[in-house]
Amino acid sequence: MLTLLKSWVRPDAFHTVLSERSVRWYNACLRITRDADLAADAVQEALLKAWDHRDEFRGEAALDTWIHRIALNAAIDLTRRRKRRAEEELDPESVEAGPASSAESEYVGQAFGKDLTTAMQRLTAKERQIFLLKHVEGWRLDEIAESMQSPIGSVKNALFRAVHKLRVDLQVWRGES
Amino acid sequence: MITDDELLLYYYRDGLDAAERVRIGAALSEQPELARRLHALVARLDAAAAQPEVPVPEHTMQRWRHALEQATESRAAPVRRPRFTQLRWQAAAAAVLVVALAVALQVMRPESSKTAINVPPPIKQAAGGEDASAYENGLKVHLASTERQLAGLGDASPEDRARLIETIIGQNRMYALAAERAREPQLARVLRAFNPILEDLADGRSDASAADIAQLSFELRVMQARLSAGATPPNML
Repeated sequence: MLTLLKSWVRPDAFHTVLSERSVRWYNACLRITRDADLAADAVQEALLKAWDHRDEFRGEAALDTWIHRIALNAAIDLTRRRKRRAEEELDPESVEAGPASSAESEYVGQAFGKDLTTAMQRLTAKERQIFLLKHVEGWRLDEIAESMQSPIGSVKNALFRAVHKLRVDLQVWRGES
Repeated sequence: MITDDELLLYYYRDGLDAAERVRIGAALSEQPELARRLHALVARLDAAAAQPEVPVPEHTMQRWRHALEQATESRAAPVRRPRFTQLRWQAAAAAVLVVALAVALQVMRPESSKTAINVPPPIKQAAGGEDASAYENGLKVHLASTERQLAGLGDASPEDRARLIETIIGQNRMYALAAERAREPQLARVLRAFNPILEDLADGRSDASAADIAQLSFELRVMQARLSAGATPPNML
């Protein structure tokens, strides 16, 4: 059975899943990084990492799901590295900056919708990532803590803060009391 | 009183212990208002998370395809670096032969000169008249062991190979020191001569040069000539 699974994970399987599911990976990474270039890098890194470790793929999840998860981890890691680099260069604007101001990122910002983007922009990078990983991606809190290299209590608190901010902003946006 | 945070963790089925889950589940089934609060909260969060998907730019998709093609072409079959090139085997074989011949020189010497050697035995800490035989016996064991280890290196993992070669090198150094004390500078020099090649093998470097091997071969021929002039070939390994 394992042999069959391994033989299935061939180049054509990767190309097929790339054609069919890369939009989903890209958008998931885009939400995490808010940067088109970093999102593209994360997906590419995930593809290559998955290919390199294809013998470890046990077929417990779909190939698409497996690569999706690797891509998200890569996106978190790339964002963290960018932040660290910016901090090392003592450039506060880079640390606080959201997406890079490339044409693609501007396009992404427009496509996301101004109001929702505003609501999400009120979150810190950590709050936004944790909220997305929990609410959209369905990761467990301990998985998020591991990936973000944060204590689980800190992850929980960041999630609660994110939810509170989003709830307040969306109430205002919808004209609710 | 159940907070929104608790409601949310209940919805996520995460971060609550069993007792808390039971308590909140019971409250939700008994209090329709609480259930409506949870549904409203989740709907708001869904709205916040519901961002429209953007298409992947064509050049990005092409970049991924290209990267994947390159990876699948270059890594389709697990790349196994040849553990031992022919050159390296020659170097290893030469090293063993050098040691064997050096030992032969030692063994074939007249009995009187052997007993005159006052070398601390590297393996067995013998003393006095036992020194020379302990030295020779230790060297024999080392050579036999070296030969076996080198023969098995092809199947060893890189880590095992490095460890084995490191051990051989260490023993060579010890015997070279003993040879110096025994006033056998040629043996000491030969023993040390192939250490760099063994180190290259241990490091997995492929630049054990032909010149190195040629030099060792020359040493071999010199020693062979010396052997054939003074003794019959040994049959000790």
